Amino acid sequence: MLPRSRARLLVSTLARPSLRQHVCALHTSPRRLAEQQPPFSTVNDAEIAHFSRLSALWWDERGEFALLHKMNAHRMRFIREKLLSDRPPDAPSRALAGLDALDVGCGGGILSEATQSLARLGASTLAVDASAENVHIASRHAAADARLADALAFRCASVEELVREPRRFDVVCSMEVVEHVDNPAAFVRACAELVRPGGHLFLSTVARTPLAYLLTIVAAERLLRLVEPGTHTFSKYINPDELVGFFAKPLVPGARPWISRTYAHGLPTRTEAEVRGIVYVPWRGDWVLAPRATTPWSSQVNYLFWVRRPYDS
Amino acid sequence: MLLRWARSRARHTRALARLYSGLGTGSSGYKECDVVIVGGGPAGLAFASALAANKALDGSVKVTLVEGGDLDKVRDWEMPPDAFSNRVVSLTNASQDFLDEIGAWVHLDAERTCPIEDMQVWDGISDARIDFSAAALGLGRGKGSSQMARLTETLNLQRGLLQHLSGQSNITLLDSTKVENIFSDDIPGGGWPVVQLSNGNVLRARLLVGADGINSPVRSYSKIDSYGWDYNTRAIVATLLHPPRIFPAFLPTGPIAFLPLSDTASSLVWSTTPALAAVLTKADPAILAGMINAAFRLPERSVRFLHRRLLEQPSLSPEDLRTEIAFREQAHTIAPHSAYASATINPEDASVGIPPHGAEALPPLVASIQPGTIASFPLRLRHAEEYIGSRTVLIGDAAHIVHPLAGQGLNLGLGDAAALARCVSTALALGGDIGSRTALTPYARERYFENHKVMSAVDKLHKLYASTAPPVVWARSTGLEVLNELDTIKAGIVGAAGGQSSARAGAGLFWDTVASGVETLVGGARVAEAVGSGLQSVAGGILQQLARAAAGPENDRR
Ligand SMILES: Cc1cc2nc3c(=O)[nH]c(=O)nc-3n(C[C@H](O)[C@H](O)[C@H](O)COP(=O)(O)OP(=O)(O)OC[C@H]3O[C@@H](n4cnc5c(N)ncnc54)[C@H](O)[C@@H]3O)c2cc1C
Repeated sequence: MLPRSRARLLVSTLARPSLRQHVCALHTSPRRLAEQQPPFSTVNDAEIAHFSRLSALWWDERGEFALLHKMNAHRMRFIREKLLSDRPPDAPSRALAGLDALDVGCGGGILSEATQSLARLGASTLAVDASAENVHIASRHAAADARLADALAFRCASVEELVREPRRFDVVCSMEVVEHVDNPAAFVRACAELVRPGGHLFLSTVARTPLAYLLTIVAAERLLRLVEPGTHTFSKYINPDELVGFFAKPLVPGARPWISRTYAHGLPTRTEAEVRGIVYVPWRGDWVLAPRATTPWSSQVNYLFWVRRPYDS
Repeated sequence: MLLRWARSRARHTRALARLYSGLGTGSSGYKECDVVIVGGGPAGLAFASALAANKALDGSVKVTLVEGGDLDKVRDWEMPPDAFSNRVVSLTNASQDFLDEIGAWVHLDAERTCPIEDMQVWDGISDARIDFSAAALGLGRGKGSSQMARLTETLNLQRGLLQHLSGQSNITLLDSTKVENIFSDDIPGGGWPVVQLSNGNVLRARLLVGADGINSPVRSYSKIDSYGWDYNTRAIVATLLHPPRIFPAFLPTGPIAFLPLSDTASSLVWSTTPALAAVLTKADPAILAGMINAAFRLPERSVRFLHRRLLEQPSLSPEDLRTEIAFREQAHTIAPHSAYASATINPEDASVGIPPHGAEALPPLVASIQPGTIASFPLRLRHAEEYIGSRTVLIGDAAHIVHPLAGQGLNLGLGDAAALARCVSTALALGGDIGSRTALTPYARERYFENHKVMSAVDKLHKLYASTAPPVVWARSTGLEVLNELDTIKAGIVGAAGGQSSARAGAGLFWDTVASGVETLVGGARVAEAVGSGLQSVAGGILQQLARAAAGPENDRR
């Protein structure tokens, strides 16, 4: 790692041109979810190596992942709200009992915190990650917790592998993963394929906006060092309207699209899909789940995306 | 290859996890618990009650409370209606609301509680006072009630909480059981606290709650330091018996608190030097009674003389003391049957006929002291540097000890219990790990600063009133009277109270009001502003002097 002073110098020389370059990229780059030839796997080896290196730090709640630890409660609030909208729970602390859940890219820890939360709430949960090291750490952490033992299983696998197997899920989550994969369209498609009819898909990611660049790369990685430099790659960020657009088209030729119509600003019908910004408020030291549809996308940086697979698709 | 290794590894860990889960008892002999609470004092019992009352638990969360003492003594505690235990707490409206919400309040014996409707902050040295009336401040619980707090015995509260807990299946109470050791498990990926009990059980806790008082073993295990100081002062407590009379509570600023428990009994908290406390607690109870009566009636100079006299001759008889007091009264030309006389009056007679002029400004004459209720304890201030450790969290006296000046210690503990229960329920509803720092942070965030605020206000009050230096006393009394008379300020206080319509917001306000009153005195400038331009220079000068004097004895801080 660079000494702090040098790092700062680097930022001041790098930040501006690259920001400009990315702002341009915003307008000119091909849409991230545009279909590409599906490669063998969406897994990006460099990214996997990066996260494997960090995985030992995952569970240090005061370390560089503190921010992500804090994000989980807000994510779960959103997930819970969506999943329970049509099935009020008998037992609040086991609200998801009876559901099959899959967490794609569970990470070594905090991101698998979402996995753990699903399992704690009673969902029978499978967590997969492409990094063996991550899977090892996440499962080791979970093994110490008797409550998780029966509800939670870990596997080192990619979504492409899972798609080839017959098992499908009521809930598929992939938190802060899609911005790290090689072919996001193929990745999202694979995740969607794993959802049972009537099931739910949750994604959380970062929008490709100048503000996101400033906060997640310039500020978080380089200036404040909240996360390791190299954690994010701006050009991989995906905008909410790209995800909405993706599901507004048939996933398989001739099939019914998951999002049947969109309104002004491209907002989907709330029973079909939803985008909610999740905003870090520094003076609170915590995240806030943005109120529903404040502005077209209050999701200038981090956001949660939910879409439900129609029963007849 | 790598993949296969990872898979087998994952299977292995899952198998391990199953082993640990078993029937609640791991292979290592630990009994798995979601929440282990150490301490069955008011804070621990209130937290357990709050959890029990919460629907989010729905029987799936197992809670164990461990208490070293015998809780049957508390369960079976009983006293005749006219006798009272010496540990009395003034429950703020916020505390009562909390107890009500969790369904515990109905289990308290209401006959053994007494509302405080009026309160006087009385300066024992200059005789200046400031009145607070709940009605004028708009304080109360619900329509038609005006009270700023309610006095009750700690035992009444604890017994009520135990009764509330008795029907709860998901809370296990282990009393007469001591925590002998706390260590971390060595399960891979674990490091959870393991609690070894004197009954041979070993509990492994997802969340270990330290409600274990001042010498908190949980705090030591968590390696959390606490900072603070001793006041070199002791508080004498006792139950005072007197002829029937309704009177305002006397706030313990001019060192004596005289708090009504019923119309014939009151609770005493008297902060004084360790030497005098030692003499007063050992002497004939009639000596203590005589000294209390004199303290409210004789000029401070004479009261101090009596203290010296008693220290020189601890064996002084009650008759000798009465002679001394009578002599002092004569010297101060206090008429034998006036409100300010105590030596020559039989308290029982004082209640008959028309009370002498000025009697309403004073608490009733103490006739006797309930046998066996005189005790004393040292005053200190301690605040843990953190409330959260590794799967541990501190509440109540384990987290903070405050000067009992305003009887806030227990209320702070109840506030902690309420906040922690809320925090744990939220985490449960979201599938969070209730032992994680992330899940517990909102609790610390909500309570740490709040507790600190009250603690430092109490500390400032103590400093302000502990001083006998003439400029401080003079400024203090003037300041108090300025405050008492200034409608602007009172209107301000009442306005602030009226703005807070909900019971929760209005509750605890009394204390905020006192605190801000004192802050204002100490701050000087803010009062000066309220006083307006006419009085500004006079009051400002006084208050500045006061502020300087009050800020002076800073060196007793450590
Ligand atoms: C003598 C005295 C008089 C007081 N008088 C007043 C008063 O008049 N008004 C007022 O408002 N406040 C008063 N206080 C303060 C008030 O009692 C405390 O603020 C209040 O009791 C704090 O409650 P708690 O539950 O946090 O701690 P505690 O009441 O101290 O409870 C801690 C519990 O933990 C248990 N424990 C500790 N270690 C272990 C172990 N290793 N194993 C098992 N159990 C353990 C203890 O047995 C104890 O029951 C007084 C305090 C004292 C000491």
